[in-house]
Amino acid sequence: MGTMFSFHVSPGECPTGEAAAIASACTRLHELDAIFSTWKPKSPISRFRAGLLRLDDAPGEMTRVMALCEEARALSRGWFDPWAMPGGFDPTGLVKGWAVAEALEVLRVAGVKAAMVNGGGDIAVLGSPAKTPAWRIGIRHPWRPEALACVLEIDGAVATSGCYERGPHLINPKDGRMMFATASASVVGANLAICDALATALVVADEEGPDLARNLGGYESYLIQSDGTEHASAGIRFASESVR
Amino acid sequence: MRRVGTVVASVAGFAGIVALHAGNAPSLPGATAPPAPVSSVPGTTTPTTTAVPVTGTAVGTSEQYGYGVLAVKVTEQSGHITDVSVASLQTAEQYSQNLAQQVIPMLRSEVLSAQSAQINAISGATYTSQAYAASVQSALDALAAK
Repeated sequence: MGTMFSFHVSPGECPTGEAAAIASACTRLHELDAIFSTWKPKSPISRFRAGLLRLDDAPGEMTRVMALCEEARALSRGWFDPWAMPGGFDPTGLVKGWAVAEALEVLRVAGVKAAMVNGGGDIAVLGSPAKTPAWRIGIRHPWRPEALACVLEIDGAVATSGCYERGPHLINPKDGRMMFATASASVVGANLAICDALATALVVADEEGPDLARNLGGYESYLIQSDGTEHASAGIRFASESVR
Repeated sequence: MRRVGTVVASVAGFAGIVALHAGNAPSLPGATAPPAPVSSVPGTTTPTTTAVPVTGTAVGTSEQYGYGVLAVKVTEQSGHITDVSVASLQTAEQYSQNLAQQVIPMLRSEVLSAQSAQINAISGATYTSQAYAASVQSALDALAAK
């Protein structure tokens, strides 16, 4: 199966009704899936990869996503690079986060004042939730079964990457080790597409991850290393009664 | 009075089940909002807005994930999830079975702790967790429809 999306919407402020706004956001997600699914041979992204579609003839979303990919590649010092993927340009590592942000934008344009969209752990928020000043996001602990690693307060967006569930299935090409130095990387910032790409970059950057995390152009990071140490950048806000 | 509407879209590609809940509980995707009457229709939203506390037990749909199929059983007391257990789990390989048995207790504790930890969502997505959350959601839908 693919990704689950959940929506939280504060009611009472949306002129056309929250239900209609959410339906529009879902429609938008389907549109984006139709454009960017690399599994569908006739999708614009697949045809572009196969050399059957020029960028000028592709939907405008493709150009926007490509610009975001360039931004993420620069911020990640090349550790996120959709142009280096087998089979040609593949923005999949950024598109899910971007789609979540687009869905939230549909809600905002419809007049929604406070909302959260969560696409498989990539989360974008608008305004504040009903009873608390900030959205509180639990970060899954990579291997401790009975706890979240922490709870972060965010405005904007957060994405988390890691390869803990599937076990040590990835191999570091440099030395053949099957673990990355970073077990879980969360990135908090304004643009969820960039957060999504940077979270992945911080993991695959392996031992360079913590160094990369120090300069992410305004994006904040929270890393859990395979040896259990944690790194949080200065702008990360832990909820005061964090579950630890 | 309505507080917060929660829609959960369980998706293949981006397409699939969409359901709406009303309530102010935190939302592990598809896991914790007190359920309201819900209709689940592929590719459409059919929102409802009444939060009715539910008590009972239901088994969610069997959800496929990358390495197998799982279904969960959800128990609710007065609209609060009190337990989640695995009703069925099938995997092609022993390796996947072992992994799932490590992961599922974590997911269970997430569903339960998400309600007590006053959080709005959980970041850190994985195949199993998505299937798990989708099955939890469908169990909640079934409870709400009773």
